[in-house]
Amino acid sequence: MAVGDYAFLIPLLPALAFVLTFFLGKKLPNGGAIIPIVAIATSFVISLLITLGLLQNPEQVINQSVTWFAMLNLGILVDPLAAVMLTMVTFVSLLIHIYSTGYMSHDRAQYRYFAETSLFTASMLSLIISDNILQLFISWELVGLCSYLLIGFWYQKPAAASAAKKAFLTTRIGDVMFLAGIVVLFSDLFRLYNGSIPEGVFILKFDEIFSQIPQLAAMSTPVLGFQVNHLTLITLLFFGGAIGKSGQFPLHVWLPDAMEGPTTVSALIHAATMVTAGVYLVARTFPMFMAAPDSLMVVAYLGAFTAIFAATMGLVMNDMKRVLAYSTISQLGYMMLGLGVGAAIGAEAVGISMFHLINHAFFKALLFLCAGSVIHAVGTHDMRQLGGVAKVMPITAATMIIGALALAGIGIPDTSIGFSGFFSKDAIIEAAYLFGENGGGWALYALSIAAALLTSIYIFRLIFMTFFGKPRTAYGGHEAHVSMTIPLSILAILALVFGALTMERFNTFVSETFVNNFVHMDIPGLAELGGYHLASHAGHEPLIILWLPVIVGVAGLLIAYLIYGLKVVNMDKLVSRNNPIYKLLYNRYYQNAILTNFLSVKVVYEGLAFAGRAVDTGFDWVVNWIGDVTMDTGDALRQLQTGVVQNYAMVVITGVSLLVILITVVMEVL
Amino acid sequence: MLLSLIVLIPLIFAVLTLLTKTREQARAMALVATVSVLLLTIYTYFNFDSTTAATQFEEFYSWVPSLGISYHLGIDGISLPLILLNAIVMPLLILFTWNDDRKAPNRFYSLILITQGAVLGVFCALDFFLFYVFWELTLIPLFFMVSIWGGPKKHYASIKFFIYTHVASLVMLLGIFGLYFAAWETTGTPSLSIPHLLAQFQFIESGITRDLIFLALLFGFIVKLPVFPFHSWLPDAYTEAPTAGSVLFVLLKIGGYGIFKIMLPLLPFTASPNLMITIMGALGAVSILYGAFLALAQKDLKRMVAYSSLSHMGYVTLGAAGLVSLSVSGAMFQQFSHGLIMSIMFMSCGVINKATGTRIINELGGLAQRMPKLAVIMVLTFMASLGLPGLTGFIAEFSVLAGSFVNLQGYVVIALMAIVITAAYHLWALQRAMFGVYKEKLGNVVDINGYQTLAMGVIAILILYFGLNPSPVLDMMLTNSEHIIGLMAGMGV
Repeated sequence: MAVGDYAFLIPLLPALAFVLTFFLGKKLPNGGAIIPIVAIATSFVISLLITLGLLQNPEQVINQSVTWFAMLNLGILVDPLAAVMLTMVTFVSLLIHIYSTGYMSHDRAQYRYFAETSLFTASMLSLIISDNILQLFISWELVGLCSYLLIGFWYQKPAAASAAKKAFLTTRIGDVMFLAGIVVLFSDLFRLYNGSIPEGVFILKFDEIFSQIPQLAAMSTPVLGFQVNHLTLITLLFFGGAIGKSGQFPLHVWLPDAMEGPTTVSALIHAATMVTAGVYLVARTFPMFMAAPDSLMVVAYLGAFTAIFAATMGLVMNDMKRVLAYSTISQLGYMMLGLGVGAAIGAEAVGISMFHLINHAFFKALLFLCAGSVIHAVGTHDMRQLGGVAKVMPITAATMIIGALALAGIGIPDTSIGFSGFFSKDAIIEAAYLFGENGGGWALYALSIAAALLTSIYIFRLIFMTFFGKPRTAYGGHEAHVSMTIPLSILAILALVFGALTMERFNTFVSETFVNNFVHMDIPGLAELGGYHLASHAGHEPLIILWLPVIVGVAGLLIAYLIYGLKVVNMDKLVSRNNPIYKLLYNRYYQNAILTNFLSVKVVYEGLAFAGRAVDTGFDWVVNWIGDVTMDTGDALRQLQTGVVQNYAMVVITGVSLLVILITVVMEVL
Repeated sequence: MLLSLIVLIPLIFAVLTLLTKTREQARAMALVATVSVLLLTIYTYFNFDSTTAATQFEEFYSWVPSLGISYHLGIDGISLPLILLNAIVMPLLILFTWNDDRKAPNRFYSLILITQGAVLGVFCALDFFLFYVFWELTLIPLFFMVSIWGGPKKHYASIKFFIYTHVASLVMLLGIFGLYFAAWETTGTPSLSIPHLLAQFQFIESGITRDLIFLALLFGFIVKLPVFPFHSWLPDAYTEAPTAGSVLFVLLKIGGYGIFKIMLPLLPFTASPNLMITIMGALGAVSILYGAFLALAQKDLKRMVAYSSLSHMGYVTLGAAGLVSLSVSGAMFQQFSHGLIMSIMFMSCGVINKATGTRIINELGGLAQRMPKLAVIMVLTFMASLGLPGLTGFIAEFSVLAGSFVNLQGYVVIALMAIVITAAYHLWALQRAMFGVYKEKLGNVVDINGYQTLAMGVIAILILYFGLNPSPVLDMMLTNSEHIIGLMAGMGV
């Protein structure tokens, strides 16, 4: 028995743990936390063994499918792409669960927490392991459900209930686009088969879809005067889903609010079980994007824009978790950018983007859990009330600084010395450079460098404001419990060394995803279909290009140190409501006012819904009017009931005569 | 005999129940009847061959040969899932009302049983005479249900429902007459047999006659369904009805049944099939969006659920008009799924109204803290209703949307737009009514009792079960859909 035969257990064990914890957890110590911990640990071991096996032999893709209904199936697919994701998600989720036993120990509804996080993990694992787009979508929606339940975990708090709803609805807008993409894809494939799908062909399975890419790319429909390529339409609709789930502009608004749940939930959402799903979706369907004209460009530009857009807002937030939330949005933008520049570098894009995704998962989980540790100890999120926390919480401070260095991407180019984020973020920035050099324009590169500078500034602002200087209020506090500091330390080690250890193998390994016995994609051929011009290998970039990301990273650190550490610049003048730029950033570009208050509440809710109600009253009025007229007619006719037999007789005779005439005429005509 | 028993047991027990004196006797009688029907239906289900679209368990006795009337029963993959739905939910509905105090319990349970017998009769009838008799028989108990035990506007609502759908039934009757006399003319013998008349439709010479017959029948079905713009009886009747009455309305399902059983086989032979497809597709798509917007605009939880029901029924006509086996079977599955989901939705409304004395969403709040069992069931059902995968609603909606897009792109786009609105009103209602701070002025609210938990819990589990594994009912729907689509192949539709 090979370990691959047990791959189906990876999502199934946490799903079972959900059921057990939900019904039995109340009676067990710690809300039954041991059940999901054991289940996820087992899933982790299986994932790790499969990944190691695949590393030996990347051809040995695991694929098992069963019929679900009609021409649709359920199944699992573990290729290099899925394997690294599975391993990361199970690992990070496991650490967060262990950490949660300490963090949530005072909550009476602990059992519900562990049941829901377990289901959250199961849904994400099922998403990753799907061998068809429909099952991926189903898991995708379950991930959305779990985030709804967990963000609203403290449902008694109106803010939590509201944030949960906002997260669900905002991502739902993306989900509908994703669903629309599947619907279009389904009907196209259905037509390619002329409506009769042979027995045993599952038309939404990835290998089946990929094998039809040339035919799909050849289909187009005129929409509003434009000739729309079906593959472009489908991939952009998929990307619409990814925008919602992965918090890209303009559907990122739910993510900063999502911190109303427990901080551990934020760590899960931001690192492991939710926001990476969008990036994974684009990576999973990368061959389709590759062959779809314009789609990769949309991915690249929107990613780069989101990276800098979110970073600007991260600069001014005073809430620790909000800074991290904007940081996540920004880093996801980098991952999208990394995929988008596949237009120049081909399948390698999947490798570099996933590399950043994995590294980010480690250091972002670390940053959130450190923030949680601080919040747990001192009882506030607001950095203005902190300062000098490093003295009371040395382990938390040290691990969080490592996380910050990893996020800022500090390292030495051309060596294997550096924090994990350094290797992956630089790879993306270099790919953006290559894209420019290849004739694609320099905007992406410029945005990615600028965002790197801002990233470094906002994260060290957080570090200096929280951990150094003098306490600004009299918060109490102590170092966190060992169940919390151990996960922190493990994650810190990974943030420190994971990038350096794996950078040699990772990219080639993951990039091999689309050239194996399961799908054998001809990426250059697809790029030709998509009209992308792949760069022939570029050789060595100028030294300055290699060093620039590190230089801006260090510059950001220094700027933050000068302003928030040494306080050489007085920020009070800048940080004021009179400064229009600060005001714009602090109010988050007024997105809440525009999108939530105006568009959803005023236009949709008050406008359209009430217009609908007016129309409905109209229909009802017509029905009642018909009723009234009938009644009135009846009343009028009642006057004819005179009771005089002669009158009746006359009416009968007249009626019969008219009928006879009518019938004769009709017969004549026919 | 089996089908006759399934139809007649509720009707016979309805009479017996009427003779009972106490609440205990009445509810026990009703439970015995509905459980018997359930057991017989389960037996039927396990002896049913879902690989063929042919009629099974047929019973035939000549009745009035001079007019071509016969006692003819039989079921296929279109009717069996609906019979199953009805047979499953009915005993649970009796349990749900187990501890309720109300006037005239004997009449109450008797009317429930008459409705069950009439609805099952419609699903089993293979003779238009029987079909129409059972069809009209459903009206009477529902009318009394609303007018005796209904809410403040019960008289208005019950009369509106009765007259509105009765007029539509008369139009449908004209359609049946048209079919009957035209076939009599061509074959020379009178017959009201449904399969016979459906087969004879294509031999009617005049295209206008065929279209008029089709439209008359269609009108009867879509008013009963209902779809926009013939829905205005629905919000009043569903809202004013007592909880059990609302559930009976939800289980009616005869309008949609008529569309699959009678309209689709006729569709390719109408003179202008594309026009008919346009009518059905457009009405379906508009109902989905329109119902969703109206649900969003409601302040009363039960009225919101009623409009939500309208929105969901739009998938039935849209999927039927999609004319791809996936969309047609999805539309059939929507009927099944909708019956389960809406039953819990209306039960929840009833429970909340009884516990708090109000259904106005803004007056509720934080109920989850006092009613945790109800909250779990409601969250699951609301998620099913908004189309969350893993639950029945998604199977139906995905099949309809994906299948219909092959032929009806524009309408599917309209339906897709409704999805976010649908999520919005469900979550909005949950957030306001169940979550947030508990409103102390609601008084001392207690959670659902054991019978209610059992009734709602079993349906909730079925929503989950059929959402994960739809094949037990979807397979036979697919068989029949493929059969219908097969009839159309080569008809240029």
